[in-house]
Amino acid sequence: MKYESQKVAYAYFAVAMGLFAIQVTGGLLAGWIYVSPNFLSELLPFNIVRMLHTNALIVWLILGFFGAAYFLIPEESEREIHSTKLAYLQLLILVVGTLGAVLTYTFNLFEGNWLLGKEGREFLEQPKWVKAGIVVAALIFLYNVSMTVLKGKKTAITNILLLGLWGLALLFLFAFYNPGNLSLDKQYWWYVVHLWVEGVWELIMASILAYLMLKLTGVDREIVEKWLYVIVAAALFSGILGTGHHYYWIGTPGYWQWIGSIFSSLEVIPFFAMMAFAFVMVWKGRRDHPNKAALLWSLGCATLAFFGAGVWGFLHTLHGVNYYTHGTQITAAHGHLAFYGAYVCLNLAIFSYAMPILKNRDPYNQVLNMGSFWLMTSGMVFMTFVLTFGGTVQTHMQRVVGDYFMDVQDQIAIFYWMRFGSGLVVVIGALLFIYSIWVPRKEVIEPGAAKTPAE
Amino acid sequence: MRADLLTRAWLTLLGLSLGSALLTLVPLRPALLGAGILLLALIKARVILARYLDLSGSPAWLRGFTMVLSGFTVLIFGLYLI
Amino acid sequence: MSDTSLIDELPGELLMWVLIISELLVFGAGLVAFMGVRLTDPAGFAEAQSHLHRTGAALNTAILVTSGYLAAQALHWRRAARRFAARLALLAAAALGVVFLIIKGAEYADKSAQGINFETHPFFMFYYLLTGFHAAHVLAGVGILLLVTWRDEPRNIEAGAQFWHMVDLVWIMLFPVIYLLG
Repeated sequence: MKYESQKVAYAYFAVAMGLFAIQVTGGLLAGWIYVSPNFLSELLPFNIVRMLHTNALIVWLILGFFGAAYFLIPEESEREIHSTKLAYLQLLILVVGTLGAVLTYTFNLFEGNWLLGKEGREFLEQPKWVKAGIVVAALIFLYNVSMTVLKGKKTAITNILLLGLWGLALLFLFAFYNPGNLSLDKQYWWYVVHLWVEGVWELIMASILAYLMLKLTGVDREIVEKWLYVIVAAALFSGILGTGHHYYWIGTPGYWQWIGSIFSSLEVIPFFAMMAFAFVMVWKGRRDHPNKAALLWSLGCATLAFFGAGVWGFLHTLHGVNYYTHGTQITAAHGHLAFYGAYVCLNLAIFSYAMPILKNRDPYNQVLNMGSFWLMTSGMVFMTFVLTFGGTVQTHMQRVVGDYFMDVQDQIAIFYWMRFGSGLVVVIGALLFIYSIWVPRKEVIEPGAAKTPAE
Repeated sequence: MRADLLTRAWLTLLGLSLGSALLTLVPLRPALLGAGILLLALIKARVILARYLDLSGSPAWLRGFTMVLSGFTVLIFGLYLI
Repeated sequence: MSDTSLIDELPGELLMWVLIISELLVFGAGLVAFMGVRLTDPAGFAEAQSHLHRTGAALNTAILVTSGYLAAQALHWRRAARRFAARLALLAAAALGVVFLIIKGAEYADKSAQGINFETHPFFMFYYLLTGFHAAHVLAGVGILLLVTWRDEPRNIEAGAQFWHMVDLVWIMLFPVIYLLG
C-alpha cells in the first residue's frame, strides 16, 4: 500500500462482503421458495426475499466499486484521497440507508407515507429519504474522488472510472420521478437499471479491469489505454440505444422493437472486446505476478461476462425471440450469469488483489480463494444451464402450447430443485471466499523455493 | 492523398450516381436492375473508403471493408430475389 | 505484435474507426431487417415505395458526395498550409449538408401532408427510422464540420471529415436499398 488513505477501501470491502453473504443467503432462500412455495409465505413473502436478493446485490456491488475507486485512485493520481473523513461519512450514510430500506420494506413501516414509506417499485422501492441519502452519499463521493483526481495525475483509467461513477450517480436521479402511468414508470425506470448495468457500469468494469491488467501483467499503459477507449466507445454506442430492448412490450411504439434489437445485439461487442483484452494482456504480459487468485478472477470475469451478458443476453434480445421468452426462466438464467460474470467476479477480483495489500498480509491464501472461484463459478454456470433448459421448456409449454402458468411451474419443478442445489454450491463458494480473505494467516500450501517469484 | 486522385474519385462518384439513376429508367428485368444498382452502390462505397477515407494506403483494411460490404450486398440481393 | 501494427495503419483517430464500423453495423443490420420484413409483403412495400421522391434522393446523393469531396479537399489543403481555402471548403461542405437536410425536410413534409407516418406501413416505419437516423447524423455532421472550421488543427479536420465520409458512405448503401430496389 503506497498511500495511507487507500485504507478507506478496507471498510468498503468489508461491508460489501457482509452484504454479499446476505445476498447469496437471500438467493438460497428464494431458491427454496421456488421448490417449496409456501415456505415463510406469511413471515417473509417471496417479493421481499427477491427484493433483498436483488437490492443487496446492487448495493454491495456499488460499495465494491466505491471501495475500488478509493483504492486505485490514489495510486493512479499519485496522491492521497482528498478527505478520508468524508469517505467514511459516505459509507455510514449508505449503511444507514440500506438498513432503512430493508427494515421499511420487510415490515412495511409507514405504509403510504410520502417520505418514509416504501415506494413499491421493483428495484426502486427505497423510501424517499433513503433515495435522498443515496444522492447525498454519491455527491460526497464524487466530490471526494474528483478533487483527488483533479489535484493529481490524470490517467485514462481514472478518467473512465470517473465518467462511469458520475454517470452512475446522475442516472440515479431518474429514481425520483415516479409517474402514475405504469408504462411511463417502466420507461424511466430502465434509465436507471439498464443505463447502469449496460452503460456506465461497463465503463467502471472496463477501467477496474484495465487497472488489474496493468498491475498483474505489466503490459505498457499505452496499450491498455488504447483497448480501454475502444471498449468504452463500443459500450456506450451499443448500450444507450440498447435500452430499447426493454421497450418491446410496455406500450411504446413499434419501432422500438427494431432499435432495441439492433443496438442491443451490438452490446456483445464490448464484452467480447473485454475478454479479448484480458487474454491478450496476459499473453503479452512480461510480469508473473504472484497474486494468481486475482488474475484468475479477472480472467473469469471477462470470460463469464462475455457469456453471461453477451451470449446469454443476445440469446433473447431480438424481439422475435423475446416475444416468446419474455419473463421466463431464460431471463433468470441470463440475469444470474451476467451479474455474476460481469460485476460479482469483477468485485471479487479487486478484493482478491487489494485485500492482501490492505491487510499487509502475504501470501494470499491462493488455494482457498481459487477453490472458491471454481466452486462459485461451477455452481453459477450449472444454474445458468439448468434455468436455460427449464426456461426453454417453460417457453414452449406456456407461450407456444398455451398451458397455464402454474401447471407449467409444476412440470419444471425438477429444474428448480437442481437450481437450488447449484445455488447451495454458490453460497458455499461465497462463504469460502470470505473466509479465505479474512481468516487464514498461513498459506494452505507452502510455496517451494523454486516457485518463489523473482520480483 | 493527391488532389487529382481525390477529384477523380469525386467525378467517379457523380458518374456512378448518374449511372444508377439512368439504370432505373431502362426497362430491365427486376433481378438485373437490382444487381446493377447494388453493384454500382458497392463500387461507390469502395471509392469513398479508398479515397475519401484514405484507406488506399492500407490495403488490408480496404480489402476487409470491401469483403464485408460485398457480403452485405450479396445478402441484400439474395433477400431481394426471394 | 502484428495486430497493433495493423491498427496503427488506420488513418486518423482509432475511435473514429470504431464509430464508423459501429454505424455501418447498425445501418447494415437495419437494411437487412428492412429487406427481411419486405418478404412478408412485397406488393405493399413496392406500393409504399412508389410514394418516395427518387429524384430528390438521387440529387441528395450528388450533394453528399460533392460535400464529402470538399471535406476531403479541406484536409488536403490544411495539410498544405492553405488554411483559408480549407476553411472555405469546410463551410461549403457544411452548407451542402444543410441543402441535403432541406431536401430531406421537404420530402418528410410531403409525406406528412399525405398523412403518412411511422404507423402507416412497415415500409414507412423503416423509411423513417433509417433515413431519420441518417438525417440526424447529417445534422450532427454539419455541426462537427462547423466546429472543425473554427478549431482547424489538421487532426480535428481529419476526424470531422471522417465522420462526414461515414455519413456519406451510409447514404450510398441506404439510398439504393430503400429508394430503388422495388
